Amino acid sequence: MRTVIFRATALVALLCPAAAPILAQETPPAPGTPRNVELPQPHTFSLENGMDVSLVPFGAVPKVDAQLVVRAGNIDEAADQVWLADLMADLMREGTTSRSSQQISLEAARMGGGVGIGVSPDELTVSGSALAEFASDLVRLIGDLGMNPAFPESELPRLKANRIRSVAVSKSQPRSLAVEKFQGVLYPDHPYGRVFPTEEMISGYTIDQIRSFYDQHIGAARAHLFVVGRFDAQEMENVIRQTFAGWRPGTAAALNVPRPPATTRRIHVVDRPGAVQSSMYIGLPVIDPSHPDYIALAVTNTLLGGAFASRITRNIREDKGYTYSPGSTVSTRYRSGYWAEIADVTTAVTGPSLKEIFHEIDRLRSEPPPAEELKGIQNYMAGTFTLSASSRGGVLGMLRQRNLHGLPEDYHAGYVRRVHAVTPADVQRIAQTYLDPQKMVIVIVGDRAVIAEQIAPYGEIVE
Amino acid sequence: MRRVIPIAAAVVMSCAAFPALAPAQQTDRLTVPVSYHRLDNGLRVVLSEDHSAPTATVAVYYNIGFRIEPRDRTGFAHLFEHMMFQGSRNLGKNQFIELVQSNGGVLNGSTRFDHTNYFQIVPAHTLETMLWAEADRMKGLAITQENLTNQQGVVTNEVKVNVLNQPYGGFPWLDLPQHANENWHNAHNFYGDLQDLEAATLEDVQRFFEQYYAPNNAVLVVVGDFAPEQTMTWIRQYFGSIPAVELAPKPDISEPRQTAEKQAVKPDPLANRPALALGYHMPPRDTPEYFAMALIDQILAQGRDSRLYQVLVQERAMTSGVSAGANIGLGNMFNINGPTLYTISLLHDQDKPPARIVAAIDSVITDLQNRPVDQATLDLALVKMRSLWYSMVESGFGRADLLAAFALFDDDPAKINQIEDELRRVTPELIMQTAREYLRATNRTVLRVENRPAS
Repeated sequence: MRTVIFRATALVALLCPAAAPILAQETPPAPGTPRNVELPQPHTFSLENGMDVSLVPFGAVPKVDAQLVVRAGNIDEAADQVWLADLMADLMREGTTSRSSQQISLEAARMGGGVGIGVSPDELTVSGSALAEFASDLVRLIGDLGMNPAFPESELPRLKANRIRSVAVSKSQPRSLAVEKFQGVLYPDHPYGRVFPTEEMISGYTIDQIRSFYDQHIGAARAHLFVVGRFDAQEMENVIRQTFAGWRPGTAAALNVPRPPATTRRIHVVDRPGAVQSSMYIGLPVIDPSHPDYIALAVTNTLLGGAFASRITRNIREDKGYTYSPGSTVSTRYRSGYWAEIADVTTAVTGPSLKEIFHEIDRLRSEPPPAEELKGIQNYMAGTFTLSASSRGGVLGMLRQRNLHGLPEDYHAGYVRRVHAVTPADVQRIAQTYLDPQKMVIVIVGDRAVIAEQIAPYGEIVE
Repeated sequence: MRRVIPIAAAVVMSCAAFPALAPAQQTDRLTVPVSYHRLDNGLRVVLSEDHSAPTATVAVYYNIGFRIEPRDRTGFAHLFEHMMFQGSRNLGKNQFIELVQSNGGVLNGSTRFDHTNYFQIVPAHTLETMLWAEADRMKGLAITQENLTNQQGVVTNEVKVNVLNQPYGGFPWLDLPQHANENWHNAHNFYGDLQDLEAATLEDVQRFFEQYYAPNNAVLVVVGDFAPEQTMTWIRQYFGSIPAVELAPKPDISEPRQTAEKQAVKPDPLANRPALALGYHMPPRDTPEYFAMALIDQILAQGRDSRLYQVLVQERAMTSGVSAGANIGLGNMFNINGPTLYTISLLHDQDKPPARIVAAIDSVITDLQNRPVDQATLDLALVKMRSLWYSMVESGFGRADLLAAFALFDDDPAKINQIEDELRRVTPELIMQTAREYLRATNRTVLRVENRPAS
């Protein structure tokens, strides 16, 4: 049996009192005593070239996940380089100086897993999973993919065609069109605002541009390797030191924090004639996870629109039946974030949906929520945190969140306590401070001819 | 309903820290603890302990899927699923959802070919509350016309957001069965024609509930961190008094053997690239050929090492990826109990004619039909399948889903521990025979998506 050695100094007690009282003939039996949740603590170390490492021997299933996260992504692209980072990642997967693409695939498959390379606005991730017995081999393979790309030019036309097709398909999907417009308005003249490239851009990218992007942005100084699952930590540390010691440090991450524009309440329509639904993004720039108010904002968001039992969802879905899958979110990047309510509503009730959404936002700003309602939301967030803390993916997500946003090591250990500390007055203050309806950008992808009159009362239609 | 936070409670191989899990005979074999009970009213109960995290999954599976919904009420099984969240004897509208969420849990329900499920994943100390709530809605619903009208609106919006307002909406998971199958039960629009959804009445809801939502037509599964005796006491206390009903005989859902290839075209005015799907009728459930298909899937289509990926993506640049599987989009080969398809699908560009893509697929399949795979190929497929299987049984919900299906369809949840053996019995010869019979061109339907207005 393997001992789990770096496990858990932090104990999180879940404070979950009885659920809200139910007025009915028979009441639900009260829950028992909450059990402690152990948050696994990572074993961390750094290499001389600047790469950070976090190891979390975790769980009982004989599997392991590893992710090499490099602080480089779409944020490093110039205005005429949209998705150059994605194309570079695609080409990195097509072979290293010692392995062909097919060899990589075969080796990963023999480990009962797979490897992939993906790009987000802030990060490039070489990720993989495998059966536990292959943990060391998995990390070596991930290292090779990250450090030694061959960049075979012969594969470039095929990868470009795939990306061009992918953009074309995205631009036929209403939600993709909505997010493109929404982020374009929120982040003008910043990479976060450039969601999709043109076909011409992709066609024009050269192998030299890709190599240069790699040389400029990918290296140990920007990298953090995470390994979570069943493995021997000492052996893993040795393997990592051997594998990555020779990686060049490269450059430090260039921090390009967007300056959010002073948004005003305006409606941007993306016309989609004949659409049976209107796909909406309604929101504005807000704070990021490093801000002291962030957890209170997360609680406020969950109560307003971020859970099934939230106010907007109960209103426009469970009361009005206008939509199936509404939801609000706080979407964060490094030192940047936005709040948005996202919903696809039947075309004929586009105006009434806006009315109800703004009604709920106004109501939360004008009066604090009842303590019972807030308590239910806090219990929900504490519970889902527990569920998340008991999976490899959830643990990885927490480590990555702390890494990207530079959060203190005890951030997640104190999360449940801080969620429960939020008061009804805090929620009202947060809604008043951060969710000003007069600053909300409204994007609607829908049938302009049908909805124009309905939506006119809710803001100036600027396009 | 939607919104599941996927989580993974853990399953162990042999680890003394988690004594509830039986040590495996071989070190690389997983053994899931299974305890199976039947109450006097016919309710089947499966318990599977896992003390690695303080969470519990409660799942109730009813033996009613859209395959056997009323003929003049397409989509009704799914609409009914929504009604189960609209109020029961002691929980009014919204209160079931509030009860679960305010206890720190997540919940969902889904409707499939052969079952409808409801589940909660919760902090373990709230297990009794969840059992009480599931029993409450098995006892009876309290639905008003207002609730029904509201959910007709919600479900209509669900069909719009997933199908009518989306490019490739319903492709291939909703479209292909309608073209490939002959029997109405397998070939109707199970998301529902909007007129049928609108026509549903409160009387329909009540009749459907009485006919199918009874303890002797259901399985209750609990997975996670709980004490088994106490849990069985609660289950008897809350579910034991619910009366059984007389169940109607199951209709004939069989499909005839297909003997000629079918072709179909779906005009999609929203799509801007063509798409292609091939659906092959799967072998009967639980036959050796059925398990062979699981390994054929690994060889053909799962992972970048797979033969179709190598040929269609790497060598011929026809697409960027291939999706494939049995019961695709709705589950897997284990949680279905009747005719299903093995589907291969992809998006492509106009300059790659479908006939050439099908020919490329055929070249790969023909090889599988004419040449036994070598041991290395079979071993690789097994490793991949074993890893996939661990992923399926490790999460609380994934494990509950398999246990429920094996209890509901086979009356044998312990079957979960026999699947690895079934897979290991597959031989190169069986793979060749299975490919010959089931990956025949005459056993398939080819569906193409074309960008043009629907006529």
